[in-house]
Amino acid sequence: MFRKILIANRGEIALRVIRACRELGIRTVAVHSTADAAALHVRFADETVCIGPPPSRESYLNIPAILSAAEITRADAIHPGYGFLSENADFAEVSENCKIRFIGPRPEMLRLMGNKVRAREAAKEAGLPLLPGSAGVLDGPGEAQAEADRIGYPVILKAAAGGGGRGMKIVRGRDAVTAAFATASAEAASAFGNGDMYIERYVEKPRHIEIQIVADEHGKVIHLGERECSVQRRHQKLIEESPSPAVSPELRRRMGEVSVRAMERIGYNNLGTIEYLLDERGEFYFMEMNTRIQVEHPVTEAVTGVDLLREQILLAAGEPLSRKQEDIQMRGAAIEARVNAEDPVTFAPWPGKITGYSVPGGYGVRVDSAAYENYTVLPHYDSLLAKVIVHAENRPLAIARLQRALGEYVIEGIRTNIPFHRTALADDAFTSGQYDTRLVERLLASEVGTRRLRQAIEETP
Amino acid sequence: MASKKRGDETDARNEGPASSLLDVDALRRIVELLETTEITRLSWRRGPERLLITRGHGPAPIVHVAPAPASTLLPPMQPVSHAPRATAAGEAPQAAAPAAGNDKKGNVVTSPFVGTFYRTPAPDQPAFVEVGSVVKKGQVICIIEAMKLMNEIEADEPGMITEILVENGQPVEFGQALFRVEPA
Repeated sequence: MFRKILIANRGEIALRVIRACRELGIRTVAVHSTADAAALHVRFADETVCIGPPPSRESYLNIPAILSAAEITRADAIHPGYGFLSENADFAEVSENCKIRFIGPRPEMLRLMGNKVRAREAAKEAGLPLLPGSAGVLDGPGEAQAEADRIGYPVILKAAAGGGGRGMKIVRGRDAVTAAFATASAEAASAFGNGDMYIERYVEKPRHIEIQIVADEHGKVIHLGERECSVQRRHQKLIEESPSPAVSPELRRRMGEVSVRAMERIGYNNLGTIEYLLDERGEFYFMEMNTRIQVEHPVTEAVTGVDLLREQILLAAGEPLSRKQEDIQMRGAAIEARVNAEDPVTFAPWPGKITGYSVPGGYGVRVDSAAYENYTVLPHYDSLLAKVIVHAENRPLAIARLQRALGEYVIEGIRTNIPFHRTALADDAFTSGQYDTRLVERLLASEVGTRRLRQAIEETP
Repeated sequence: MASKKRGDETDARNEGPASSLLDVDALRRIVELLETTEITRLSWRRGPERLLITRGHGPAPIVHVAPAPASTLLPPMQPVSHAPRATAAGEAPQAAAPAAGNDKKGNVVTSPFVGTFYRTPAPDQPAFVEVGSVVKKGQVICIIEAMKLMNEIEADEPGMITEILVENGQPVEFGQALFRVEPA
């Protein structure tokens, strides 16, 4: 087992890793930028190393500084969290070359899944269903047109190196293909330094369903069921739940089996999440794979009772899987709301000092956050402030519990999207379970939605 | 590098010489002791605690005690006695350097990155600089080893080394104070 783990991250996920290490009896090293000297992950780690100035590029993305920190503290493993260097194959490789275990999949897995075109090819080979689309990178607008005609409209153009919604364009008719290709490709080139595009069928009412994979170093793979993450804005997830109201036990079994078989075939190790698009007819298609712990992992922990961070560390140390597939059962319903430091109407980031703070609690409520009274939300990093996770016997109870918990959450001095969450949770589409990835868009455009949002802002403590 | 110990090493905490030293009685004794000497200025530092006493021509000494600038949420952490440079979590290294600079004359040279500090070009060779050395702009004053690379750190201005703040072979973090230099 590891003696000392360096956490190459900040915020709530760094704390989450520290907590798992504490329970395993592993010492921890926090790294931080100068701006994060007063952060909780720094406070709670056994040792700390300042690795650079506030910009991520010079601190949390600074590979030499992080490896030097691991070296001088004699850490024997690095946990990358999510974001930052978590899916950086070069970082994983250099760490391993320095005899420091990277807690995550092998570098070749990160490399395979890090490129969308290669990931799709690998997924197809491994037997995962794909949306009808181009076989690989399009050689230009001409091929885009031909492929779109073959697939049938509407279609979507996507950047091969993309993510976060950039370099994407929906095309509803033949005459729009050429212009859309040019725009999306230029956007991709400026955002990712790579203008390569591919094309696929566009689903009008897609739901985002993902399967949690757990694999050991000895070829054993299981899944922990699904999470639904269809409540998203510009491809940023806001509310996640497990189980999904759209997934029947039969569909769960099929999605799980296909996923596990594919992971066995490619020799996947450690934690991973396969993201699928579920269409109106209940067909699912591979979108991409995330080769790290996910922000929304706590909903899976709540319903399955598996401590994913603990499991991830044990697996990285070479421990065999502690459970068989038949041991995994999903109990009740869990929902997570991502509380961001941002304006609830415009979604503009809202950094600043938290002057008053009180965390919700009570039965079935979990809050993962690195915030505290007098903590300053920094403009240098993402706006995720807290994750409020509830677990209840059933979905209606879970919704009521999350509403109750969010109503207790006092965060003064800055704006948060809590009023937005309260509005979304009260929406008919959400409560009925009949929603898709365009819920937020529709909600913000509707009169009822905006009225509820105004009311929720007024009622915010 | 800040190093804190808890849990399995609570005994280091219970000894607590740092926590018990700066009570009112201790301060009184220090001040009384100073009265009997010629010392006009005493600067003392242990972990997050700093004490600066200056004695002017007035009847009583002026005492500044700088506690750890910890957040209000949590009690200040006690550093361990053998920590290379204990820093309370609330204290940014970049803030620490100017704070130290205020106590004394001269500028502080800080570490540009994480690594290991070496005063000599090789183990059997003399140090690049000693206290009292006069350095030119661009002169190598130490090495920071990072990723097996020896990075030579140069003086960014001419002056005299008045203090060396880090031990040879000690790990350093970004922004940590290394030398005090009095500009020429």
